[in-house]
Amino acid sequence: MSIPLRWLRRNLITIAGLITLAYLILPNIVVMVFSFNKPNGRFNYAWQRGSLDAWKDPCGVADMCDSLSLSLQIAAWATVGATVLGTMIAFALVRFRFRARGAINSLIFLPMAMPEVVMAASLLTLFLNMGAQLGFWTILIAHIMFCLSFVVTAVKARVMSMDPRLEEAARDLYAGPVQTFVRVTLPIAAPGIAAGALLSFALSFDDFIITNFNAGSTVTFPMFVWGSAQRGTPVQINVIGTAMFIIAVLVVLAAQLLSNSRQKNSAKP
Amino acid sequence: MTDTSGGDVRLTGISKTYGSFTAVHPLELTVPQGSFFALLGASGCGKTTTLRMIAGLEDPTTGTVFLGDKDVTDLPPYKRPVNTVFQSYALFPHLNVTENIAFGLRRRGIKSVKKQVDDMLELVQLGDFAHRKPHQLSGGQQQRVAVARALINHPQVLLLDEPLGALDLKLRRQMQLELKRIQTEVGITFIHVTHDQEEAMTMADTVAVMNGGRVEQLGAPADLYENPNTTFVANFLGTSNLIEAEVLEAGSDITVTASGAKLHLPAGRCSTSTPTRSGGKLLVGVRPEKISLAHADDAAKIPEGRNRITGRIADSSFIGVSTQYVIDSPVCPELEVYAQNIERDARLVPGAEVVLHWNPEHTFGLDAAQSMLAGTVGSAGTEEAA
Repeated sequence: MSIPLRWLRRNLITIAGLITLAYLILPNIVVMVFSFNKPNGRFNYAWQRGSLDAWKDPCGVADMCDSLSLSLQIAAWATVGATVLGTMIAFALVRFRFRARGAINSLIFLPMAMPEVVMAASLLTLFLNMGAQLGFWTILIAHIMFCLSFVVTAVKARVMSMDPRLEEAARDLYAGPVQTFVRVTLPIAAPGIAAGALLSFALSFDDFIITNFNAGSTVTFPMFVWGSAQRGTPVQINVIGTAMFIIAVLVVLAAQLLSNSRQKNSAKP
Repeated sequence: MTDTSGGDVRLTGISKTYGSFTAVHPLELTVPQGSFFALLGASGCGKTTTLRMIAGLEDPTTGTVFLGDKDVTDLPPYKRPVNTVFQSYALFPHLNVTENIAFGLRRRGIKSVKKQVDDMLELVQLGDFAHRKPHQLSGGQQQRVAVARALINHPQVLLLDEPLGALDLKLRRQMQLELKRIQTEVGITFIHVTHDQEEAMTMADTVAVMNGGRVEQLGAPADLYENPNTTFVANFLGTSNLIEAEVLEAGSDITVTASGAKLHLPAGRCSTSTPTRSGGKLLVGVRPEKISLAHADDAAKIPEGRNRITGRIADSSFIGVSTQYVIDSPVCPELEVYAQNIERDARLVPGAEVVLHWNPEHTFGLDAAQSMLAGTVGSAGTEEAA
């Protein structure tokens, strides 16, 4: 076998990994680079020259930061609502036997399986028939609804694998019902709950289809981006996108470091 | 009530039914303070349910649980001065060894736990593992953490639910001795649930043999082994040879006949229900290790006054310290004999005609009106849990 071929064979996995990584990260890098662009016209599609203008004035575009703030608020409340409700549903489904348990178990998956646009249209019909005022609350209700299934799925998996004896052990060791839940049940279910919450936040923050149907005259950040893409894309959108990306990466890194140092501590004699 | 009975565990008329299934029939049981008590039985015999009713994890259908003079039947588990070592240990996976052990103290609002936790770690010899998480420990170490986590609370009673079931044989033997040492050291009442008769006999002062939700017999290990009251106990604790017989002569020394062979046994070693009057049908029991084997040619050398039966060796298996023989005899198709390998007779091979003989004092009597096979491996109610 020739030398280059052998080299390829030995490093194929690394190469494949790098290509995949590039595939995932390249769009983010383009967004990042173009946040330093100074476009000539209204469209930020071609590189002209470097500039920090957009970073210095991120809210310089009319209404953009309002929509961003609205999206963050909705995402936060949707996360809280869906996580609390979803956790309770997950516990109920795992711990108790009741009528319609099987039906609920499969209904929970429906929002994940159904095309979003169908859900969006039927929700709109429902809201209109109820005479509801479209806006913040209808968006929030819609978001909690589709986030719920993800939280339930994540928490359920965790609760199902939990040894019921752990709670018995806690009660045996002088922990009352509340103490047992706070000290044992919740910490053990926490990774599932956290996963559900993170998913909820991400899903709610960038949801467009369902939000667009049920927002009325309210404008969320994804709707603003969509709207401005028709008329020209301000560089500030790239600034916000880059900032979100960096924050997310930092959060992941911090979590990684925290769990690493914990493991090191617990391994100490 | 005197001082010594102040910490007894007393169960009066306690029972548990699930729908139409009765897990525990009304049960009277007293566990003296400071004793090592074993509930022994096959899976599904109600022993774990009984334990859980003492812990408060299961509500009894009828009856009362007393700890000392105090009725604790209606107290939730977290208000009972009782702690449990669970079968799967149930260590909290998110807490390290120290926090697992300190859990009970902290829940009772005790702030300075370090000294007590350190003492406990020392007692169970885990000082170097204080900061490990449970999943970083071996099975034996986890088991010791579970014991320490319960003992640190100085419970009136420590309940052990098959705590050694998940360990391999060698470790189990080691932990049996360890638990016995700890019990002697701390002097707390231990109630130990197990399906392993050897484990129960090694560790406990008193063993209650349970079967089908009832206590079949209760007593010291040696007493249960030597004087079983039922065929279940005779077969479940070790192995017994049971021979169907009919009483010829009553008295303090009973003479019975079994398929022509005359056997003797002391009346004092017959269970209370055994019919000892002339003509009564009973089962003559003798443990395999009490029987001596002699080749038929040497029959004349057997001393007078011993019970004897003739037979032929059907099978023999050499297991190191002893040899186990299965004897085909006209009085009983499969008699088991364990012979110590001190002086081996080369003639004792399968097919050889032999005489079995033993001291009549070593014979016990049981009522013949019960299944001879109760409690044997494979009979109903003795299978291992899956």
